[in-house]
Parts: sequence; structure tokens; C-alpha cells
Amino acid sequence: MFDLIIMLSRFLFVFYIGFFLWQGIVYIAYEQGGYLGSPYHAVSIQRRLVVLMHLTAFLILSYQGEFRFDLPSLGMGAVTLVFLLVAIRLLDRFYYEGCPLIWTGMLFFFFFILIMLWRLYPSLAVRQLMWMVIGLCGMLFLPYFLRLIPRFEMFEWAYIIVCYGLFLCTKFFGVEKGGSVNWLAIGPEGYQLTFQPSEVAKFLFVFYLASVFRKKVGLKELLITGSLSAGLVLLLVMQKDLGSALIFFMTYMVMLYVATSNEILFFLGMGSASIAAIGAYKLVSHVRVRVAAWRNPWADIDSGGYQIVNSLFAITTWGFFGSGLTKGLPKSIPVVESDCIFAAICEEFGVLFGMGIIGIFLMLLYRGVRIALDCNRRYYSIIALGITALLSFQAFLIIGGVIKLIPLTGVTLPLVSYGGTSVLASLMMLGLLQWVCVYSEQDYRRREEEKQGQADQEVDVLYE
Amino acid sequence: MNRMKNSMRRVFWLFALCFFLALGYVVKLAVFDRKEISTNAYNRRLYVEEEDVKRGDITDINGEVIAQSVANGDGTYHREYPRSRMAAHVTGYSSVGKTGVEAAENFELNTLHHELLQRLKHAFLGEELVGNSVVLTLDMQVQSVAGDLLGNAKGAIVVMEPSTGRILALQAYPDFDPNTVEENWDSLKDDEDSPLVNRATQGLYPPGSTFKIVTALAGMNYCKDWENFTYECTGEASFEGKVIHCYNDKAHGTVDMAGALAASCNCYFAALAKEIGAGNLRNMMTKVGMEDELDFTLESSLNRVNLTADSTESELVETSIGQGRTSVTPLYMAMLISAVANDGVMMQPYLVDHVVYANGEEGKTTVPEKVMNICTTQQAELLTQMLVGVVENGTGTAAAISGVTVAGKTGTAENATGNDHSWFVGFAPAEDPKVAVAVVIENANAYGSATPIAGKVLQAALEAVGE
Repeated sequence: MFDLIIMLSRFLFVFYIGFFLWQGIVYIAYEQGGYLGSPYHAVSIQRRLVVLMHLTAFLILSYQGEFRFDLPSLGMGAVTLVFLLVAIRLLDRFYYEGCPLIWTGMLFFFFFILIMLWRLYPSLAVRQLMWMVIGLCGMLFLPYFLRLIPRFEMFEWAYIIVCYGLFLCTKFFGVEKGGSVNWLAIGPEGYQLTFQPSEVAKFLFVFYLASVFRKKVGLKELLITGSLSAGLVLLLVMQKDLGSALIFFMTYMVMLYVATSNEILFFLGMGSASIAAIGAYKLVSHVRVRVAAWRNPWADIDSGGYQIVNSLFAITTWGFFGSGLTKGLPKSIPVVESDCIFAAICEEFGVLFGMGIIGIFLMLLYRGVRIALDCNRRYYSIIALGITALLSFQAFLIIGGVIKLIPLTGVTLPLVSYGGTSVLASLMMLGLLQWVCVYSEQDYRRREEEKQGQADQEVDVLYE
Repeated sequence: MNRMKNSMRRVFWLFALCFFLALGYVVKLAVFDRKEISTNAYNRRLYVEEEDVKRGDITDINGEVIAQSVANGDGTYHREYPRSRMAAHVTGYSSVGKTGVEAAENFELNTLHHELLQRLKHAFLGEELVGNSVVLTLDMQVQSVAGDLLGNAKGAIVVMEPSTGRILALQAYPDFDPNTVEENWDSLKDDEDSPLVNRATQGLYPPGSTFKIVTALAGMNYCKDWENFTYECTGEASFEGKVIHCYNDKAHGTVDMAGALAASCNCYFAALAKEIGAGNLRNMMTKVGMEDELDFTLESSLNRVNLTADSTESELVETSIGQGRTSVTPLYMAMLISAVANDGVMMQPYLVDHVVYANGEEGKTTVPEKVMNICTTQQAELLTQMLVGVVENGTGTAAAISGVTVAGKTGTAENATGNDHSWFVGFAPAEDPKVAVAVVIENANAYGSATPIAGKVLQAALEAVGE
């Protein structure tokens, strides 16, 4: 009987995400001048759908047969529900006029990853929740912090110096985890807190580039930013963190392109990167292993291709609706909680649900670019676009990796994967993005008011 | 500012394109690559079983059940094999792990067709959850005859339909009783005769004189004047570092290829091999697919091929008469002789004919597949004529069936430990081949003991296919 309920719940989950995306379209349509429904209504439906998904999933996860439920699971479900409902209220207050679709998208991912982690490794779910609390607090205070220093573009040199400092720290004090030496450990032996400096560095890197590119970009700026970015990428390659190296490179290229609008420069950069990639393939064995595992994972199932092959099994075995929550074998995929979370999603919730997740990323991409477009201050606009590009590219890199579209590099799926630093960094970036959104809304209103004021004055003159 | 906004729009489309690409690729995985990827033997999800699902039956082509699940009364099931040892190496077992068809078709056997409907009926009407049944190409009539003929002699018999690759019978001895594998696990596992090894697909034997089929084909291919190539056999012949003897040192006189095949003259083929050359003989072995990995339902070994273009003359002449370091599986020999019977077209052997769903509907059916052309139609016809000679007036007369023309080749593989292995590969009727067979008897007491067995198996198989 319960098996039957799990089977039916698969359709329910696909309905949730499908309807969620549809409400996103309703909202965007309204903005674009079409009308498919009330936008306020759409957002509140989205929130309700997320809560419904959470309830459905935790009821399934806590069921123990014969109408008995597992108390820790119910407790976890209740705690996360309360936390997230409180969080959404606070965010509404602190970021009045932020983009609601970004909030609901973030909310969806948060609820969803807590479900997924609770199903995989409950202890990780608790830690993830802890990081979310910290991240949200940081996010809430971000606007106040930014208000304190009104011209934070002044610190362009500080950003890149701290960036390099973080990388050199890992070079000398780094610990190895998952094949890459890109972790730092703080605290006494046994109670260490490990974090990935590259996640923090991403944040600073966007700041640095936006600070430089806010002015007109000449040859000097091009050379300085180019060589400093290339240095960072090289350091990352040396740490065997190919995924982050690609993310830094792509972020640089996109921000440079946006700042200069120069296609030739963009393709020149891509071309030289391709040559560098071929060079890296010839010189670095780590790169060759990754590429070989991508081109034919079946030739080496036992070692090099193991992760990608298991991820493909997870995606293809159960078809469009998945195995049903708790019915798959996601734990057979190595590093399923961070790198391969997308495969686990496709396995238990189905390929359609996985496509829905990509759809939500598309929605976030669209909203992020929208914010960048609507912002009239060049500096903020570039920051918004940089953040959006970085998060989108990272999402594509890992999703494309686990489905064998591109070689698999070990990066996290932003907002979805397990990982403290990753959650923190993604949250701060979204906070910043929303802050830019709030800024341009207020800016727009100020201008409108000024215009109105001028018009009033003109009227006054007429009537004088 | 406006140029920047336009660039931003382009950036948006670039990333959107990436995401759409990913979406498309996921669909491709789920729709087109699904079967190929998910049925890989490394996929652990194939071995997930639910206690309350009744595993499907395995039946032969006529519907005779050879493996079924029987209810224990507490909602669980256990596996029974009504024919016990008779098809043990085909069905395998499903208790201490899984082997054979039980392993290869595990996913089908556990899959619920119309799962939602079945689960609804299970929950509300109390009906059983039944997995898909697998119908094999095996014919238990032929399988039983082959099993009885093999008796307690170590060896293997493979019967195949040359035009399709359907396996009609596949026997190997020593065998085991799949009903009691769990109870007897320790003794089965440690038995020196390794009864759990399927000799038909995993056993590697030197091919002996049956290899002369390949040498003959190589002669036709690489020696322009092979039709006029004769040899005066004196019972033995010397080559660099090797003296080749005919059986019992019998002198066959002057023989051509047909005569040499009929008499199984080693000296002729050794001399022919010298004409062909090691490189060309090796090429021929590649052309007949001897080195290729076989994608078969049952676990199978890869043939061993050692000859290279630089091999010594002694290795070359030994290989040409099947006594060198070459060793092959009985299944492969059945494929080879079937290819000769099928105008030179080698077919992919297969055991699973189709799947039947719990509601009686017929599921996916295996479509016969060509592997390769091993020779031209003319060459196959010529060779067939010579192989008819072997059975009519050569070493293979014991395989003759009254009223039917049989073609075949005998073989005796010298064996360092114990008596020689006896081989026979053949097919019938020679004019329009319906069945082909490969028989190997380990350490045979009598010369050519595989030959009469092969004749009787062919006869039974012909009856079964309605000839």
C-alpha cells in the first residue's frame, strides 16, 4: 500500500515543480505586458507549492509502516518548515522590493535539498540547515553593511589581494579532500571546520572585476585584469580544482565582454583558452584522466569512469518519473551529496523533475540578467551580471558533467549541493543580487519623483 | 550603456543555450540511451529485489517452464527449477547470487508491467505482483536429448540455428542442481571438477582438427592456386623444429584439400599453412571473429589466439592443425560452423526469444543480428561440399543420419594431462542447413567419441525444427 503511495507521489512531485515553473511564467508574462494571471497570486502559489512539496516528502520519509511515523524525521520536517517560513518573512522585510521569483526559486532549492539530504545522510541535512541559518543572517545584514560603505568600488585592489591571499593560504596550509587540495581547516584537531577558500574568492573576484570595469576599459586595465585572472586560474589548475578554474575563467570572459562589448576580444579569449586547454591536456595528467572518463567512461568503469557511469545509471534506470522517494540507490553514486546531487534528483524524483530543476536555474538566470539590465548604475549592473553568470555557469558545469554532456569537474550545484562554504557564498551572492534589485527600484522611484517634482514645478510656472 | 545592455542580452542567450543543451541531452539520455546504459551489468539497480514481487518464469520456446517462483505462504517466494539439472547451465541459479539467464534477465524478471495497475490490484484486490516472464530459444526436447547423450562425460554441446543464431540447446557437464545450490554451496564451490563453470561458453579447448576449417578458408583466400595444391602424405612431415604426424602415422597418399579434410590429414594442412604464412593465417583468424569479444546472455570466455606474423614455423604448423596454443569455446565453434552453413554469414547467438508480460501480452522480441561475413558464398559452398565428404566417406561417418546429408568436421585435441579431447562440429541438411552443432568431450576414452553424439543431437534437433 505504501509502495503505491510512493509511486503516486512521483507524479505529485512532477506536478509541483511543473506548476511552480508555470507560475513563474505567469509572473514574467505580467511584467512583459501579457496577462496569464495575477503576479501576486502566482508568487503566493509558488510558496504554497514549496511547502506542499516539503510536507509530502517528509511524510514519506518519516513513515515506518502501519501508520507509525519516525519522530526525528517529523521533528526535522517541522523545524525546517518553521525556519524557512520565518526566513521568507524576514527576507520580505529586509529586502523590500527584491525580486520575488529569486526568493521563491531559492526557497524551492532550500526545501528541496533538505529533503534530499535527510533522505541520503540525515546528519548532513542538520549541518546544511545550520549553514543556511548562518548564511541567512549574513544575508539579512548585508544591506546594512553595504549602506555603511557607500563606495565599495574603491577597494578594487583589496579584493584581488585578499583573493590571492586565500589561494596562497590553501597552497601552504591546505588539506586534501576529494582529490583536490583546495580546503582550509580551522580549529583544533578533531573539531575542524573545513571550508573552501575558492568559494569566498569567487565573491571577491566578481567585486574586483566590477570595480575595475566600472570605468572605461583601456589596454592597461585589460592587461592587468587579464594577467591577474590568468594567475588565479593557473593556481586553481595547480590545485587540481579544474571546475573552479573554469568558473573563474568564464566569469572573467563574460564580465570583460559586457564591459567592453567587444566580440573580437571575447572570441580571442576563448580561442587562447582553447589552446591553453589543449596544452593542459598534454601536460597535466589529471586533465587527461577527466577527459578520458568523459569520452568513454565504459572503458574504465572500475576506476576513472566509476562516478560518471554510476551517475548515468541513476539517471537512466527509472525513466521520466523516477523510482519514487526512498526507492532508488542514490548512495551508490560517489560524492552524491555535492557533485552528483543532480543524478540523485533524477533517480528518485525522475528525469522530468530534474529538467524542472534546470528550468528553475533558467528562471534565476533570467531574473538575474533582468536585474542587471534594469540597473542604471554601471558598477552595480556589472556586479549583478557577474554574479548571475558565475552561478549559472557553475550550475551548467556540474549538471552538464553528471549527464556526460561535458567532462565532469567537481564543483557544487549552487544552492542545491551540500557544502557549507558553497551555501554561504551562494547566499551572499543572491543577497547582493537582490540588493542591486532593491537599489534600482528605489533609484527608479527617486527619478520618477524628481520628474514628477519637475513637472509640478512646470505646472506651477504655468499657473503663476 | 546601451551597448552594455545588448551585450548582457547576448550573455543571457549564451547561458540559456547551455541550459537548453543540457535539457536536450537529458531527454536524449532518458529516451534514446536509456536501454543501453541501464542494462549494463555494473548497474546495481538491476539487482534490487522486492520480497513481495513474484519473479517471472523462464520457459523454453514451447512454453515449458524451467524456472518459476512458488509462494511460501507468507507473502514471499522461493525459486524452483522443475527440470533440475537439465537446463542448469542456461537458467543458472538465483539464490547465492545469480548466474545464467537469472542474472542476465534479472531486470526483466523483476519488472512489473503496468506497475501502477498491478500495485492497485495488489493493494485492493490482493492480487500477486508478477514480474515479466522470459521465453528462451531453447527447445527442452533437444536439450534433454543432448543432456542424456552427454551423460556423465565431461564436455559440452551447443546446438544453434545457423540462419538466425538461435540457441536450441546448450549443455555442459559437470553440472549442478539449481534447486539445491544454497544447501550444497560449499561442496559445489570447492569441487575440483568445477560444476558451476559452464563449459559450453566458458570452457577453452584447443580446437584440434576442427581448426582445419579456418586453415582451409585461409588457403582459399591467400593461395591463388589452392585448387591444384596437393601433398603426398607419408604419415609424417618435418618442418623447422617440428615433426607433424598424422593420426596413427597413417600415410594418406597424395591428397587435395577435400581429401585432406575427409581424412583429417595433418601433413597436408601443415604444408598448406606454410604456403599461407603465419601473418595470413592470423588475418584469417581475425576475419572469422576468433578474437572478438562476444556479447552473449551467458558469461563467456574470450578465445585465446597466440599466432602472430612473426611466429616460428613450428608454431604456425601446430596452429594450422589446431594443436598450438590456440584455444576456443564450444559456443564459438558452433558460431563458426553455423557461419559456414549460412553462406559465410556469422550470426549473433542468442538465448532469449522474447519477454511475456504478466498480463500475457508479448513484450520485446530479439531480432536476429548478423555479426560478420567470414567468407564468400562460393567459398562456403565449396567448404560445405568438402565437409559432406568428411561425413560420407571420411573420419566423420559416425555422424551420418539416414536420409539427410550431414556436413561436419571431427577433431582430436591433444592434451598434456590425460586423454585427448574429442570434437565434432557439423550441420544438417547440407543443402539447406537447419541446425548446426558443436560437441566436445573431454579426455575421451575412445577416438572420435564426439562424432556419434553429434549425429544423434543433429537428428533430434532436426525433428524439433520439423524437418
